[in-house]
Amino acid sequence: MRVVRLSLRNFRSYESADVELGAGLTVVTGRNGAGKTNLLDALYFGCTGRSARTTNDRELVRFGQKVTRVEVETEADDGPHRLSVGFEAGQPKRLTADGVRVERLLDVPGRPLVSVFLPDRLELVKGTPSLRRAHVDQVVAALWPARTTTRRGYAQALAQRNALLTRVRDGAVSPTSLAAWDRELARHGIALMADRAAAIDAVAERFGAIAADLGLDGDPRVAYRPRSKATDADGLVAELEERRTSDLERGFSGHGPHRDDLALTRDGRELRAYGSQGQQRLALLALLLAEREAIAATRDAVPVMLLDDVMSELDRERRGRLVELLRGVGQSVVTTTDLEHVPGGDGADVRRLRVEDGEVRADDLREQP
Amino acid sequence: MSTFAPPVQRLITELGKLPGIGGRTAQRLAFHLLRASEEDALALADAIREVKSRIGLCEVCFNLADGPRCRICSDERRDAAVVCVVEEPSDIIPIERTHEFHGRYHVLGGALSPIDGVDPEDLRIAELYRRVTGEPEEGRDPIREVVLATNPTTTGEATALHIAEQLREKAPQVTVTRLASGLPVGADLEYADELTLGRALAGRRALS
Repeated sequence: MRVVRLSLRNFRSYESADVELGAGLTVVTGRNGAGKTNLLDALYFGCTGRSARTTNDRELVRFGQKVTRVEVETEADDGPHRLSVGFEAGQPKRLTADGVRVERLLDVPGRPLVSVFLPDRLELVKGTPSLRRAHVDQVVAALWPARTTTRRGYAQALAQRNALLTRVRDGAVSPTSLAAWDRELARHGIALMADRAAAIDAVAERFGAIAADLGLDGDPRVAYRPRSKATDADGLVAELEERRTSDLERGFSGHGPHRDDLALTRDGRELRAYGSQGQQRLALLALLLAEREAIAATRDAVPVMLLDDVMSELDRERRGRLVELLRGVGQSVVTTTDLEHVPGGDGADVRRLRVEDGEVRADDLREQP
Repeated sequence: MSTFAPPVQRLITELGKLPGIGGRTAQRLAFHLLRASEEDALALADAIREVKSRIGLCEVCFNLADGPRCRICSDERRDAAVVCVVEEPSDIIPIERTHEFHGRYHVLGGALSPIDGVDPEDLRIAELYRRVTGEPEEGRDPIREVVLATNPTTTGEATALHIAEQLREKAPQVTVTRLASGLPVGADLEYADELTLGRALAGRRALS
């Protein structure tokens, strides 16, 4: 599965662009503010139906225009596919897969997995646990698509239990059925914890090595931090029972996998609190690369890696190591202000694009000596 | 502003309230009724009227009934010792089609869903306990087994768990069972959805 072509109309700074991607590494060069990041976001938007940078889709429409549209052509084992996302302010998004309208792109054939590294994504390391939980669940979904139902089941049971807690607290009903909801929540909860633990297990073994390769010293690790200590549904039920009084007082469930976290550490200390900006960026990059390796090892789908301006903070050796990792498997798109920052970027197997004056052109290295 | 005379518009509006009927279909059905002979059209009206006036709920199991008891509860050949608990009267139909179940039913009238404000008191759960723990009617066996056949959804599972737990307390002598989840018979494994297949794997049995 690979992305062959990206076409966009009135997307952010672009009026229009048609871009062919390389089979492996694609390098996008351009000055600051030329629109390199917007190009990555367009690719992300076309593959997922969402922007990687904003939840406000209005920002995606080129200034002074009403409608934006992004099309992605992919090549899978079963042939070519075409995804498109159209957005007009005030209207629901129009998503299509092979010309047929769909509700979401998540499970359509021919949709490539995408993993994106943008400065905004540092929130994943620094921000609230909810972001990391959502991310882990996305990794679970990428590794084992069938297991998305676990998270949905848990969310449903949690919403029901919370509604019941509120009703009991307000004296609307007796708490007799709470035990049944504890059990239903625990059944889904244990399954969800097992999925998350397995996903992080697969990532953790690769994370340390990649992080060290990229120059993050001090024994970097990633670990699952489940809120519950339970190993089976009965154990989780017992934990829920212990906290029932406080749950009833507050009217919501204070315990369970919806309070889990993911810990990124260096020398046993959390990068979220103790890491420098540079260390946090390296950890995020290593995490995304480790996930990509784990996914590639589990199924025949390597996420397309979108990396925005990562080279500037790596030294020459680390840049070389990163490019090696990227060229090894799958597709990736890297932006940089200077092609020199991408060792081997002038290679024959690398596709080069240049962003200038709101346009994207193939860079055939004419100026190179 | 309506294009049609008020009685026609009223018919379209009423038909449009039916499940699965949108505005256009409602219109089509209304015109069909207008074209139909008076006899045919009024037969439908009578059928609706009759169903609403004559069909009530069975006093024992809360299935639909045209008398105080439904056909199943009045059938002496049915085993009174086994009761199958379902959410809605319509759930009885597929179970009856199997011809595998010879016991009786108990219709809850829904499933627990705190979000929608459906609590145990809103379902016919207390009636089930009374039925299970009460004295059997003359000449009938006491209830020996309760089969929980609520839907395998979050709300259906919680309902089953709730009833099972309460029955263990109130009627420990009664066996409580749950319908198995698994593969449809005659289906290809490759077309099974992951959830069903996952449940089937979790509930696998040794071949004897």
